[in-house]
Amino acid sequence: MIDYFALALGHGLMAIALLRLVLRDDLDADPLLGQLKADTAANRLATSTAGRNAARRARDKHADETVPDDGEEPGR
Amino acid sequence: MLDLVFLAFIIYVLLLGLKRPFLWVLLYVYIDILAPQRIGYSLIASLPVSLIAFAAAFGGWLVLDRKEGARFTMRQGLMLALLAYCWWTTGNADFPVEAATKWDWVWKALLFAIFLPLTLTTRARIEALALMLVLAIATIVIGTGMKTVLGGGGYENLKFFVNDNSGVYESSTLATVAIGLIPLIWWFTRYGTVLRSHWLVTGFAVALTFACLMVPIGTEARTGLLCIAALGVLLLRYTTKRLMFIAAAGALGLVALPFLPQSYYDRMATLAAPGGDESASTRVAVWEWTLDYVAEKPFGGGFDAYRSNRFAYVMPVKQVNGNTTSVEYREVVDEGRAFHSSIFELLGEQGWPGLMIWLALHGLGLWQMERIYRRWKGATAEEEAWIAPFASALQMGAVIYLVGALFQGIGYQPVMLMMVGLQIGLASYCARIDSARTGHDRSVQRRAAIDSKLSVAVAA
Repeated sequence: MIDYFALALGHGLMAIALLRLVLRDDLDADPLLGQLKADTAANRLATSTAGRNAARRARDKHADETVPDDGEEPGR
Repeated sequence: MLDLVFLAFIIYVLLLGLKRPFLWVLLYVYIDILAPQRIGYSLIASLPVSLIAFAAAFGGWLVLDRKEGARFTMRQGLMLALLAYCWWTTGNADFPVEAATKWDWVWKALLFAIFLPLTLTTRARIEALALMLVLAIATIVIGTGMKTVLGGGGYENLKFFVNDNSGVYESSTLATVAIGLIPLIWWFTRYGTVLRSHWLVTGFAVALTFACLMVPIGTEARTGLLCIAALGVLLLRYTTKRLMFIAAAGALGLVALPFLPQSYYDRMATLAAPGGDESASTRVAVWEWTLDYVAEKPFGGGFDAYRSNRFAYVMPVKQVNGNTTSVEYREVVDEGRAFHSSIFELLGEQGWPGLMIWLALHGLGLWQMERIYRRWKGATAEEEAWIAPFASALQMGAVIYLVGALFQGIGYQPVMLMMVGLQIGLASYCARIDSARTGHDRSVQRRAAIDSKLSVAVAA
């Protein structure tokens, strides 16, 4: 009798836990790591675009000051 | 009937696993610990459920899993080295047939422990594995605890679901594993996300802890008492009111004393005076024999090498005759006594290299958990606060296991190897967070620097 009770309780709890796990997306993809990676990627993208733009502007400005008649677009 | 219920449960998990294949890993854990194929009688006993579950777990991981962040760590390498070394000693064993029998389950346990961390790539999975371990052991422990409380305990008297002393169904092993899981049980009451913090969860944890403490009493396993003592000492580290804790533990022990059966006192008394107990005095003799044995064979004698030992010694034997008790010293001859200690088990079977690998595996684990505990202690964000307590729970579990292992041959215990897998999984996960965070911080700094440069440029 005790054995049946223990088996029923244990299996019941395991069945509930497993069902809850199946319904969770974070079982296969970790939200914290995913968030950190997404943020990092977004920052990199922003810095790379912004970086390129800033560099170009800086070069443009520099070229305007030193070689004003140069027809070529610097940095391209 | 029972067979059908087990089969239904296994099929249920197999079906759930179609959506999330990681559940098949948990299914293997369940089958390996609880061994439903040995509880049932007919149908389930004839099916290779363990093999099916392992194939599903490994195949599911290989084919369907993202495997993102899966890495092979040094401790997995140590287990692989131990596995290879065991394979070699099995080939050169003193007792090839017996060695092959033990090898048959040891390689599976080691291989699964090597594989396990590769699947533990998310927080939810780490928790899921811990929960499965706790619930599978709980299923056994609940029954044992209830039988103890309701009477019917006693050394080698208490019946488990399976009564062949295999796996975790051996009284001292079960006692060690049950006590070792207590810190993890309490972790769930605060940080569990599958079964969230709730009075029902806490109530279950209280009852389960009680049942775990009942295991060493019900089975009269002396090692279990040492494990409880180890747990008490370890808990001192995490309690702020230490004196109060010591007083409360002492009071609780005193209150429990009158409820213990006489047979329990008799058996525990042999802890202090091992001279009168054959099991205790042969241990020392076996350990001395093992040291002599490896002096001749430093590379070990393969599994079950203890079978060649034989010793005669003089032991006091008590004889009660009416009101008089006479103690007579008799010569006792013992043959093929088991190692009764994982240290000597590893030493005798795998020699010094095997013992070194085993000690490094567990020593590194303790150190790694300590490092993680210190690194994450004080983290308050919900997604990080669980890490330090989890590491300390695993560390306490490991220490309790090692204390128990000093007096039992449980060096390759599958549940404990799964705990090792869990430790490795946690360490890898923490390393990944750290590395992702470093990358993230760097990208934030870079962005801030460029933003400020841009604003200067715009202002100019």
